[in-house]
Amino acid sequence: MNIEAFIAERRPVWQHLDHMLKAAEAAGDQVSRKELHELVELYRRTCSDLNRVQSNTANPEILGYLNQLTGRAYRFVYRAAHETPVWATFVHLISTEIPATFRRERLAVASAASAMLLGVIFGAVAVLINPSNGRRLVPPMFFTERPKDRVERIEKEEERIDNVEKALFFSASLYTHNIKVSLLAFSLGALTIIGTILLLFYNGMILGAIATMYILDDVPLFFFAWVGPHGALELPAIIFGAAAGLVAGRAFLMPGNLSRAASMRRVLPSVWRMIIGTALTLVCAGIIEGSFSQFSYHVFPYGLKIAVAVLLFTGLMAYLFLRGLSEET
Amino acid sequence: MRELTITTPEHVNIRLEPAGSGSRFLAILIDAFITTAIASVIYTAAVNIFPRLVAAAIFVTASFLLTWGWHVYFEVKRHGRTPGKRALSLRVIDARGLPVTLYQSIVRNATRMVDFLPVFYGVGGLVSMLRRDRRRLGDVLADTLVIRESQPLTYRGELGAERHYNTLRTPRVLRLIRHKISLEEREFLLAVCVRAPKMSPAARYDLMEEVAAKYREKLDIEAESISGENFVRDLTAVVFSRMR
Repeated sequence: MNIEAFIAERRPVWQHLDHMLKAAEAAGDQVSRKELHELVELYRRTCSDLNRVQSNTANPEILGYLNQLTGRAYRFVYRAAHETPVWATFVHLISTEIPATFRRERLAVASAASAMLLGVIFGAVAVLINPSNGRRLVPPMFFTERPKDRVERIEKEEERIDNVEKALFFSASLYTHNIKVSLLAFSLGALTIIGTILLLFYNGMILGAIATMYILDDVPLFFFAWVGPHGALELPAIIFGAAAGLVAGRAFLMPGNLSRAASMRRVLPSVWRMIIGTALTLVCAGIIEGSFSQFSYHVFPYGLKIAVAVLLFTGLMAYLFLRGLSEET
Repeated sequence: MRELTITTPEHVNIRLEPAGSGSRFLAILIDAFITTAIASVIYTAAVNIFPRLVAAAIFVTASFLLTWGWHVYFEVKRHGRTPGKRALSLRVIDARGLPVTLYQSIVRNATRMVDFLPVFYGVGGLVSMLRRDRRRLGDVLADTLVIRESQPLTYRGELGAERHYNTLRTPRVLRLIRHKISLEEREFLLAVCVRAPKMSPAARYDLMEEVAAKYREKLDIEAESISGENFVRDLTAVVFSRMR
């Protein structure tokens, strides 16, 4: 085969295909029927050229060029997913898919929740046995003074959040941080499983220890009114995100008789919905934590805050457990 | 580096070349720079319109959305190329050779959290350097791949024309080449010639002599009068000027 003659002869076809692909990409994949037919034909011709070149030469330049060109055209011609309407997908995701995924992956959710619950129990029991254990379990940055002193100081001082601006800024910092933490929990779970379990246990332990310390110091209402309103959403969200990690981790680390890639593909629909669900819930929780949770009882009585917490939690659970249930059966 | 081979329904094998860690790192650096710049512009604009803390809230949200949304948006909507990747001719694709889907992109980017640890892609960079297909953890989980996709057609046909007085261009040598030099060896010979100018003179001389000695023996040619480099170049020119 005379390679120069071959290239000279076929080059216009390749350049035409390259040009068409570039134009299609620039136009957001919008091609007319006629163009599509032309593109497929050019793709087939280039494929057969690649075949000939592969068996007739080892020239890396020409092989590299034709491989990448055919690869690009292949992705264009054979892509499986068609354009999805973003807004409709989003509405459907919220209205049915997230609760359905939550129920489908209930085993993972239950495992994540029990890891955290075990942590809470461990932390609480440790503090009950010996109150000085609290100082050992809780990192010093969260533990600067006795709960009772802290409550007195906070409730005496002026409101920490005295305008919308502060609330907005604090909320934004909180939800971005929390989403990052839950993405970390997800990734750790997906890669190691045990990493997420430990992370949940550890956080549960701190929560349990702090809660018990506040209760022992006789200021339980303050604690529940302070943590409750956002915790009602935040804790389930983090458990949900970690459960996504467990689902992914199980598929990844224990693929059974599937290939690792095939196994991951099978759980991908559950996993991405859980990640999005977690992120959305954390945004809501962050906004509550940055504003409502921070007010003292002069503004919102403890009873009101705890009532809101209970309401939010019941609402979330009703949504997760009941939404779209009739359609499934 | 391991090439990814896709067999199309037309029974053609397309080989795609994974991108190296270096170019990927540079691409992410460009993307990080652009997103930071956009977030700063947003902040500067917001601080002039809103009170300082509201502007800060907008900045935090904007930079968050930019860091996480940027990659997902461009990977899904712009055929796997963020501006940084476009600048370096890289592309994210599904490991089956298809375009990356929204869901893969979300998982791939969520795992960025771990790949980013402990500082600026420590884990991701290390994993990618150790793996032959140059994937970071996010790529492994989402079954995606970053490929290098530049290669304009720069056929070095002049290699044959360059050597006018080529004593190796004889029917005997042509026959020997056909029987004794495999496709891989041809590729190797071309690579040696292409890369030689970039080597230090001493290394270049040693390498060329070594290669020449091997092929003199293999093809049973006693062209002792020409230097190793000239022999290799002549041989390569013959190999590539008349294939079959």
